[in-house]
Amino acid sequence: MNYATKLLLVSLIITILGLFTIYSLGSRSPKVGALLFFYRQLFWIVIGLFFLFLTYKINYQRFWEISYLLYGIVILLLILVLILGNVRLGAQRWLKFLWFNFQPSELAKLSIIIVLSRYFSQRWQIYLESEKNSFLKDVIFPSFIVGVVVFLILQQPDLGSGILIFFIYLGLLYLSKTKRTYIGLLLLIILILSPLLWRLLKDYQRDRILCFLNPNLDPLGVGYTMMQSKIAIGSGSLFGKGWLAGTQGQLRFLPEAHTDFIFATFAEEWGFLGCSLLLFLYYLFISYSLKIAYKTEETFAKFLAYGISLMFAIQIFINIAMSTGLAPVVGLPLTFFSYGGSSILISFISVGILLNINKRL
Amino acid sequence: MRQIKRTQIFLFFLSLIVSVRLFNLQILEGHKFRYLSRANCIRIVPFVGPRGRILDRDKRILVDNLPTYEVAVFPQDISKIDGFLSQVSSILDIPSDKLKGNFNKISNSSLPLVLLNNLDKKTAIVIEELKFKFPQLIINMVPKRYYPYGNLASHLIGYLSLIDYWRLTKWQDYGYSIKDTVGYGGVEERYDYYLKSQSGGLQVEVDNRNRIVRILGYRTPKAGKDIQLTIDLKLQKIVEEALEGYQGAVVILDPHTGEVLAMASSPSFSPADFLEEKNLNFYFSASSSPLINRAISGLYPAGSIFKLILSYIGLEKANIGKNKTFFCEGVMKLGNEEFLCWDKHGSQNIFEAIVHSCNIFFYRLGLILGADLIHNYALKFGLGKPTGIDLPEEKAGFVPSPLLKRVKKFESWFAGDTANFSIGQGDLLVTPLGICRMISIFANGGKLIRPYIVKAIDGKDISKYQRKIIPLNLETIHMELINNAMRKVVEDPEGTAHFLYMPKIPIAGKTGTAQVAKKLSHAWFSGYFPADNPRYSICVILEHAGPSLYACKVTRYIIERMLEEGLL
Repeated sequence: MNYATKLLLVSLIITILGLFTIYSLGSRSPKVGALLFFYRQLFWIVIGLFFLFLTYKINYQRFWEISYLLYGIVILLLILVLILGNVRLGAQRWLKFLWFNFQPSELAKLSIIIVLSRYFSQRWQIYLESEKNSFLKDVIFPSFIVGVVVFLILQQPDLGSGILIFFIYLGLLYLSKTKRTYIGLLLLIILILSPLLWRLLKDYQRDRILCFLNPNLDPLGVGYTMMQSKIAIGSGSLFGKGWLAGTQGQLRFLPEAHTDFIFATFAEEWGFLGCSLLLFLYYLFISYSLKIAYKTEETFAKFLAYGISLMFAIQIFINIAMSTGLAPVVGLPLTFFSYGGSSILISFISVGILLNINKRL
Repeated sequence: MRQIKRTQIFLFFLSLIVSVRLFNLQILEGHKFRYLSRANCIRIVPFVGPRGRILDRDKRILVDNLPTYEVAVFPQDISKIDGFLSQVSSILDIPSDKLKGNFNKISNSSLPLVLLNNLDKKTAIVIEELKFKFPQLIINMVPKRYYPYGNLASHLIGYLSLIDYWRLTKWQDYGYSIKDTVGYGGVEERYDYYLKSQSGGLQVEVDNRNRIVRILGYRTPKAGKDIQLTIDLKLQKIVEEALEGYQGAVVILDPHTGEVLAMASSPSFSPADFLEEKNLNFYFSASSSPLINRAISGLYPAGSIFKLILSYIGLEKANIGKNKTFFCEGVMKLGNEEFLCWDKHGSQNIFEAIVHSCNIFFYRLGLILGADLIHNYALKFGLGKPTGIDLPEEKAGFVPSPLLKRVKKFESWFAGDTANFSIGQGDLLVTPLGICRMISIFANGGKLIRPYIVKAIDGKDISKYQRKIIPLNLETIHMELINNAMRKVVEDPEGTAHFLYMPKIPIAGKTGTAQVAKKLSHAWFSGYFPADNPRYSICVILEHAGPSLYACKVTRYIIERMLEEGLL
């Protein structure tokens, strides 16, 4: 088996585990339509697989060509969200397309990776030819590209995606030929500007961060979610309560049990053993995708594969960390697992890109 | 590329951190979170089982349970049943504000709140129909104590009320908890552990809005154990009739076994009042103390009945036979003090002195015997300490002695004290039950019995464990002499209890008139019958009723009624 097959296999196993968990959430409710989420997720997985196949067939070089167009579309969509987004949970992240809600920030993650990959591979080429560094071109320019998107996303507000994109950017900077001192300088500037960023956050986001630092601050409000998540995970113990036997998620003590906190729902039913298996699968998945990034000789592909790997890795880590109370509740889906069409679609497309890169090794 | 390798290592460490965290939450703290998750979603709807019944010696029901119904709701559902409350208030004719006021205070509990209780079956059915519109309602059957004979034997039975702090701290380890209803006084208190039911309940799973999702389990409530008393219902009724209008107590024992056949204290109370929690102030504040069981908690001077003990000591220890006489002039001078007899009896031997209850004879005898000897024998005859009956709040009584007087009062003992002691006055205090046990010694040929009231628990006879019969090794001839004298007390026209004389049935006994400062004296009678084959020993005391004649009247009424009812 080559990496591509393994990668696809692992991601499918994880997706199926996610489906099981979403099924379990609706299984005991006597209400009609309790399994709606399950069927919708199934539908999106089928659509996602179709798109995976499509991107697998398309040469990834095509993304080089459309990168700035894509970037432009993302900016436009993000602005559209701000103007006429569907407000849900105090945040407007969705655009209503016909009959489904599309989340542009999911697309933003991928397109940022594509744009930066193109930009940094171009810089790479220039470096190889002239060995020249430029703070403006190596740091200020890409920071602007990222900054605009992050600013728009934070306005929604979607703290999780904003942070994720920022980390992806740092990772790509690290991979690029940018001088380490420049990167240090950038971090210093952000540190100095951080009080300003703090003011950019919405009240509830600040609450979440404060509450993460001190969970006893507000046990009924923001702390409630974190506490219920910990109860769900902890009560799973070694073997878990068993599939379909969870109570925290099924009886709705755990908010967002099928989206942001689906890891807690899974952990409750499958226990430490199940969690260890899931973590291992994710670890395999990231390792395979990093392997592809490692092996490819083409710079754009390398950045692309590395960026996608980072996107998955950071998103998975932040999600699990916040479910277990290691990180503040920022609202990020768990890749392949959480309910949500946009997330599933973008994840499968990203896998498709990786597979295509692998094909051309 | 170095960077990618390093990224891989970095991510490995991140997953290690997550694994450690999961290990911590799920393995190390798993138990705590399992508990918390159960607490989140599991609720109990308690079902109360019936308390054990209380039966008489022939298994006639003295205390029973009747089904009543209560309507409850989970606290979180209260807002949804406003419509229900207004409908109920029109059905039951209770202002709806009052209904709501009942539970607003305690709406934080995870148990269901009781909106209405004590409903009869008819009302419950009407409300059951409303359940169609308000599915949140929980309608439960709750057994309620029922007293078919009203006040009868109220002191023996006791009453029920919510557990108090003192009892809770004492009984917590035996499975009692706050909001439990427990017995107060009587058998209900003493045997609460057996009588109490084990409540069962419905274990339900609820969602985050406390809606019942499914039923997890059901435990049937267990009924408490029935308790069978030694009391004879018919006799108890007779005794209480006889006491009506008096303040006092009657005890009837089986002199051979210690079984309490009847025990009454007047005034009595209605245990049912405590279920309704109304009119209770009277019980706690009345000067006649209706809640006190005078038969075991009332302390009185023994009066002339005590002379029986003196007689025995005289016969055994001072060799005072029938030949020894003292002369009664109605008064005896001791120093500057005068000690009176209630009549001028002239020359009296011990036999005549008992029959006539001559004080002078016993003053003289007492002075010969000395206070310490009398004290020791009084204890031997069971006075001055609890009889050990299986009822709460029994008092010990008090038998004085020179030593005790010095220790307790820092006073010296005088000859006058001995004289008073000899006729059962002074500091001597006894309970009616104590006297009845003392008289039983004469009825059963010299054995100290332990009175008891519970014959069987849950159908299992426990008499074997209840009976404690201690032979006192008393001289039979002396006992016979005293017994004959006690018969003469009734038979002899000059005897103090001649009022009791009935040709049909020989009775032996002794009267007493216990002097009380500034008030009418207490009237005593204690004895046993039939005298040739004693089956009953009896003690009657009437507080401040005057001469002992009144006690004899009550006794006569009891025995006559017993004959009518075929109990003799």
